[in-house]
Amino acid sequence: MNIPSFAVPGVACALLLVIAWMHEPVTSRAHAPAAVMSCVDVDPDPPVYYAIDLVPTRKVPGARMAEGQGDVTFATSPFGVSISENGQYVYNLSVAMKNVTLKEGKALDVWVTTPNLDQVKHLGRLDEAFRTVGSVDWNKFLVVVTLESATADPGSTWTGPIVARGMSRSGLMHTMAGHGPFQSEPCAVYGYR
Amino acid sequence: MLKRLLRAVQAGSLLFGTFFIIGLSTSARAQDMDMHAGHNMDAPVMRGDSVLWRMPPMDMSMPMLPGMDTEVPITAAYLPGAGLDPMSVPEAKPFEILDVDDGDTIHLQAGLVRRQIGAQTLVMMGYNGQYPGPLLRVSRGANINVHFVNAIDQPTTVHWHGLRLDDYRFDGIPGISQAPVESGESFLYKLNFPDEGLYWYHPHMREDVQQDLGLYGNMLVNPISADFYAPVNREQTLVLDDILIDANGIIPYGKSAPTHALMGRFGNVMLTNGVTDFSMDVKRGEVVRFFLTNVANSRTFNVVFGGNPIKVVASDISRYEEEMSVSSVVIAPAERYIVDVLFDEPGEVTITNTVQAINHFRGEFYPSVQALATVRVDDTPADVSHAAAFEELRTNEEVIADIDSFRPYFDKAPDKELELTVRVNNLPLPVMRMMEIDTLYVPPIEWNDAMPMMNWVSTGEQVEWLLREKDTGRESMDINWTFQKDDVVKVRIFNSPRSFHPMNHPIHFHGQRFLVTHIDGVENPNMAWKDTAIVPVGSTVDFLVHMSNPGKWMAHCHIAEHLHAGMMLSFEVTD
Repeated sequence: MNIPSFAVPGVACALLLVIAWMHEPVTSRAHAPAAVMSCVDVDPDPPVYYAIDLVPTRKVPGARMAEGQGDVTFATSPFGVSISENGQYVYNLSVAMKNVTLKEGKALDVWVTTPNLDQVKHLGRLDEAFRTVGSVDWNKFLVVVTLESATADPGSTWTGPIVARGMSRSGLMHTMAGHGPFQSEPCAVYGYR
Repeated sequence: MLKRLLRAVQAGSLLFGTFFIIGLSTSARAQDMDMHAGHNMDAPVMRGDSVLWRMPPMDMSMPMLPGMDTEVPITAAYLPGAGLDPMSVPEAKPFEILDVDDGDTIHLQAGLVRRQIGAQTLVMMGYNGQYPGPLLRVSRGANINVHFVNAIDQPTTVHWHGLRLDDYRFDGIPGISQAPVESGESFLYKLNFPDEGLYWYHPHMREDVQQDLGLYGNMLVNPISADFYAPVNREQTLVLDDILIDANGIIPYGKSAPTHALMGRFGNVMLTNGVTDFSMDVKRGEVVRFFLTNVANSRTFNVVFGGNPIKVVASDISRYEEEMSVSSVVIAPAERYIVDVLFDEPGEVTITNTVQAINHFRGEFYPSVQALATVRVDDTPADVSHAAAFEELRTNEEVIADIDSFRPYFDKAPDKELELTVRVNNLPLPVMRMMEIDTLYVPPIEWNDAMPMMNWVSTGEQVEWLLREKDTGRESMDINWTFQKDDVVKVRIFNSPRSFHPMNHPIHFHGQRFLVTHIDGVENPNMAWKDTAIVPVGSTVDFLVHMSNPGKWMAHCHIAEHLHAGMMLSFEVTD
């Protein structure tokens, strides 16, 4: 070796901390089994900047007035920030919904997917307080909340209608080709049609 | 016409007004790629006695903003050793290990050296003519003297990063703990080593130049106890760095102020232990303990050991409460990590910096992988197998017991609150406009220089990075905290995502140790004592600082250009 090397004698799943988020108590108008739930503010204070607004589709009965938010905090890491082996951020994603009425036998599942929908992961099923938390290791992703059977196990992707959806803050980043100060740039040069 | 207009406005001969805004809006468009040539990329290093600016290497497929084609930093270009025949400068050699006993005095000299970086012969700097500087190996509790001589053409000092010195006058901070050591002068540093672990030394004047050119070295403080760490087959320091060079050599620095003041100076060539092709040989089944130090001006690394299992043992000032298995090591400037890696398959392993970089123009993340080092694993089995010890994740009861006395403070209200932000003045108009447009997303960590032109032309005379105190509104060096010895102070730091240019900052406290107790309100379940920790964009990080050492100290961002653009404060601990 050209540099001294001195001989001497001689991933686990991240701990999903209980992360909750609520700006105000959740009021459920569920028929059953959910009762009127409230939630309390807890210590985690996820970055507002990276919060994910969940926008309702307004197409699902009982969820037309739904509101929701996703919050990200770094998964537990000895380095402060959690990064995967391929350089992606590893987040704990906490999702909360409110103003949702569920029919008996129905549940809300939360999914994360890549922007082109080629990979889908089940983040979790909303609990009685309409919250769940899971892990995501993509830099840019979509969050999809769907109405599913409460008795069936979630499969590899959703089967029910979409109640709400949102995207990671990074989804706002888009190409500048053909826009703003680069409006005259030929987009085709950069692979865009 | 647009360029003339922009220059006129920048020169102050035109005022902002309706005409200007309309003119810019209607004509604003990107310029042809060949407009990059306006920056004399292939220019000679010097003309007469003057160092010339030339544009830093970058992705030439990127279009250039209007008005940027002839922009250069407003400070004069500067390159130590420019004009010297490299062959007239002593050739640098790889670092040596100096075993220093209690009471010893060693000699350390900063000087110009000749280095080979890839195919280029460059004039750089080195301590004792070595790259990195000599590795000082001492035992915990030792007291040593360092007779330092400044043989470079700039004033300098030596900061002993991470050491909780008994006497702040040897901390190397010009204007606070000592006067600058002028060229040709010397200074006697008296050091003590109260904590085991990995530390490093570097200048605390114009780090953006002196440290970047090679003035850095490690200190390894050996423990007293034989089983302080688990047994391994081999130990190896890895000093991670990068340097910005093109075909004509090192891209010049700013003479009166740093360039790259927005994002810090990212290099385009990776250096490990000062070379581009560092390699080592091990036997199959060996466990290697790597001592990692990030000495880069700005780059945060995500170090991957080719998929081999990694165990994190310790960080800056102590071991962790519990050892952890990880798949990569994230290390910000000035941080250190001690990790064990098992090499159980023969072959060649490339240690890489593996990140998802950002292309702002395309609006995309893209994988970016740089080779840092090579480990050749011979098929010969290890003489002694430490695989079983490697598999064990030790709980360090001593560390837990030490931290236990600080746990009652974890949830207390912050004693001090800081916001990290930036103020800019007189940046070129295209930069101002582009930065204002491109605000939809900023990442928690900047892994690459995603705006090399705009970054390069921003200098410390135009960019002022700020530590702003929430309660008082005081900023940076207007802040001067006072504490009592052994105070336990919670400093809450919020990295504002709404500033002109949000960016991650590795925050370093001199002379003390701290715990990162919370990030974004989430309690850290496994701690180590630190002296430097990263504050991502948008995040709030709680530093619980143990004010153990009396004296006058600093806290600052360890991105060299941010430090010199003002991102520092002072505090005093009284006895």
